[in-house]
Amino acid sequence: MRKLRAAVTAALAAALLTGCGPAAPEPSSATIYAMDTVMELTVYGEEELLEEATDLIHDLESRLSVTKEGSDIYKANIEGSARLSEDAARLTGRALEICALTGGALDISVYPVVRAWGFTTGEYRVPGDDELRELLKTVDYSKISLQGSDLTLPEGYMVDLGSVAKGYTASAVIDLFRGAGVTSALVNLGGNVEALGSKPDGSPWRVGIRDPMGDGYFGVLEIRDAAVVTSGGYERYFEEDGVTYWHIIDPSTGRPAHSGLSSVTVTGPDGTLCDGLSTALFVMGLERAAQLWRDSGGFEAVFVTESGEVYITSGLEDAFTLEPGRGELKVIDRG
Amino acid sequence: MVKTRTWVIIIVLLLAVSLGLTLWLWSRPRGDVVNIYQDGELVRTIDLSLVTKEESFDLESDYGRNTILLEPGRIRVSDADCPDKVCVDSGWLTGAAPIVCLPHRLVIEFAGGRGNIDAVTG
Repeated sequence: MRKLRAAVTAALAAALLTGCGPAAPEPSSATIYAMDTVMELTVYGEEELLEEATDLIHDLESRLSVTKEGSDIYKANIEGSARLSEDAARLTGRALEICALTGGALDISVYPVVRAWGFTTGEYRVPGDDELRELLKTVDYSKISLQGSDLTLPEGYMVDLGSVAKGYTASAVIDLFRGAGVTSALVNLGGNVEALGSKPDGSPWRVGIRDPMGDGYFGVLEIRDAAVVTSGGYERYFEEDGVTYWHIIDPSTGRPAHSGLSSVTVTGPDGTLCDGLSTALFVMGLERAAQLWRDSGGFEAVFVTESGEVYITSGLEDAFTLEPGRGELKVIDRG
Repeated sequence: MVKTRTWVIIIVLLLAVSLGLTLWLWSRPRGDVVNIYQDGELVRTIDLSLVTKEESFDLESDYGRNTILLEPGRIRVSDADCPDKVCVDSGWLTGAAPIVCLPHRLVIEFAGGRGNIDAVTG
């Protein structure tokens, strides 16, 4: 009888085990509200790492935010100069490089204009021509001085690192995980996605890119050890007298950028670069953006035009899949 | 002997039940289960395939109120006392992006991820 009972137990155990399949490593995940967005962190590793990452994110926000009183950037904007913390100095330096790389299509000093449109507060309005002309006098990244960690702004200037801060933070979180020995993690900072390694089974992470024209996503990008950042006019906008005004401002005109694109996705190993470029390439439009891609390395891109056509740079031919029924994918070549 | 036969029957029954359960779990449409999170905590799970008629309920928290509207197979925020109403403007929940009410720290999304997608950008 005892033998039989043992057999029953074994049979039951076998049934239960096969019912659930082989045990996969369990991910830990956390949802964090910071930097004006919802962040999701998934890590195949110790759960304590999520607490460290949360602290890191809040610390970076307190230094990089343009609206948080006491942040390095807030201080520089009020007083005209500030000694920056290590992260703020490093990110400001990187941001100024991207401003130069894009010929000012990204300009961290456009903040007074963005503020005039109400995109920082939600109190939207259309500024007059005279007002914009006056505000544009204080928009020129090349006039900003960063000597070591000392940031100095000309009279009336204000800077905002919002166009690069989430990308930088995503990379910082990934670096934290990598330093702790993690080989598989994915962070999504309100659409700023960055992956460490691949999924535990070795397959790439699959990132959907939101359809600028409607619900759902129009394509999927497969990534390993890379960031993906998308900028689109649909993210924040308002309508007045039948005209839609969105939050991506062309620093050369002070008005919402209308370059013929409805969304730009940039992917590559450097989260800060991807973040800054997604905004800049949107401002530049398809032709100039494609030229910048040919002239410089370190990133690939997916473009959606206002008429819904999808273009990818040739480095993504294997990694990007267009959803069925989305027409023909066009590939931009190096040549 | 009778006892042995009883045990065999129990084993067969258990195997059959576990097999059936496994098949049911596999075949069940996954896209219909929706999770609602407040401040990162799961506060409610709803299987949209079990919704037979229009109904709504309020989610109250220290941050404010969101009114959730259910119809067969779909869910949305129909009203809220947050300042920007982004959650209401989001309309019905789709697989692409969760419905988010940032001021109230509310997130509504499909359970089990979004199909075979790990994250959505944009």
